[in-house]
Amino acid sequence: MSTSQSAPKSAFILKGVIIIILATVAGILSARFFLQRTVVQDELSATRFPVAREVQPFELVDHNNVVFDNAALEQHWSFLFFGYTYCPDVCPTTLSVLNSIAQRLQDVDADIRFVMVTVDPERDTPERLAEYVTYFNGDFLGVTGTDQGLEQLTRQLGILYERVQPEPGSEAYLMDHTAAVFLFDPDGRYHAVFSPPLSVETIAGDFRKMLQAYQ
Amino acid sequence: MQINLRIPAAIVLLLLSFLSTVMAGAAVDVETPWVREAPPASTVLAAYMVLKNTADTPRTITRIDSPDFRDAQIHRTVVEDGVAKMLPVEQLQLPASGSVTLEPGGLHLMLFDPQRPLRDGDSIILIIHASDGDSITVHAPVVRKTGGHEHSHHH
Repeated sequence: MSTSQSAPKSAFILKGVIIIILATVAGILSARFFLQRTVVQDELSATRFPVAREVQPFELVDHNNVVFDNAALEQHWSFLFFGYTYCPDVCPTTLSVLNSIAQRLQDVDADIRFVMVTVDPERDTPERLAEYVTYFNGDFLGVTGTDQGLEQLTRQLGILYERVQPEPGSEAYLMDHTAAVFLFDPDGRYHAVFSPPLSVETIAGDFRKMLQAYQ
Repeated sequence: MQINLRIPAAIVLLLLSFLSTVMAGAAVDVETPWVREAPPASTVLAAYMVLKNTADTPRTITRIDSPDFRDAQIHRTVVEDGVAKMLPVEQLQLPASGSVTLEPGGLHLMLFDPQRPLRDGDSIILIIHASDGDSITVHAPVVRKTGGHEHSHHH
């Protein structure tokens, strides 16, 4: 009697212990998961969205005359900067910063692309962009397109750009443009934005944290 | 014949540039002038430097020229609501015994249309004009800065 009673009893206790262990493991795992996902913003100087944002359809062309659309943002991380090649100060400085970030993140186990999208498609042809961006880094990609294609992408990111005439009557013009750097994740979603002043150390460090949280 | 004329002209120019440096050198020092090498297709460049007023009275820089470019303008990059803008700067006020720094992302001399291709290691001429009529001629090296593993430069 006593043995037949103790057998189901011990099985019951064993089941209970297994459930408690499983629940604890699950709790720890999910806590780690959620903590990583939520704590990360406090440690960042970038603005990272709690949920990465879907990118609405857009279509541009890269400096190799290949279509650059939503699919071009997938399967890898992308840093996007919006500038123009007739820009003497901000754009070369930003592309130098992006190249330094590329060098600093060489050890990272992730595919990272760096892209300059021109806000001056009238003057920045694919050929001109190719010469410009590859001067900084042979792997950098230049992107241009139609005014409409550019608007499709910039409007949803809140990017502003405007033509400015420094000398009245002159054909030369400058562009005012949003100076931030935008990060897209391998799902092709808008993941974070880095506002100026842009620091190599900060952006590279933030990226490592976001990559860890993403994996 | 052409060569015979060119050499004395070069000597005169050299002496003149020397003279102007000496004349104004007592009041304004130009430190670490440099020009950012531009990507192959670029026709606009930027020069940077520190202008130091060694006098105990304020001085005004009205203009900076370069014979190596079609035009030169002093600009200031400002970021307003996240948008980078370049604003023309009429003149630079150097406080007494103080300095003004032209640096990437801030004040810079915008240089339009180089008269010849300019590569890392080349040198260009900058002429800095003060409101009292003095001018200072300096040579600024063209420096490649792409954020990569470039060799260090000594200004």
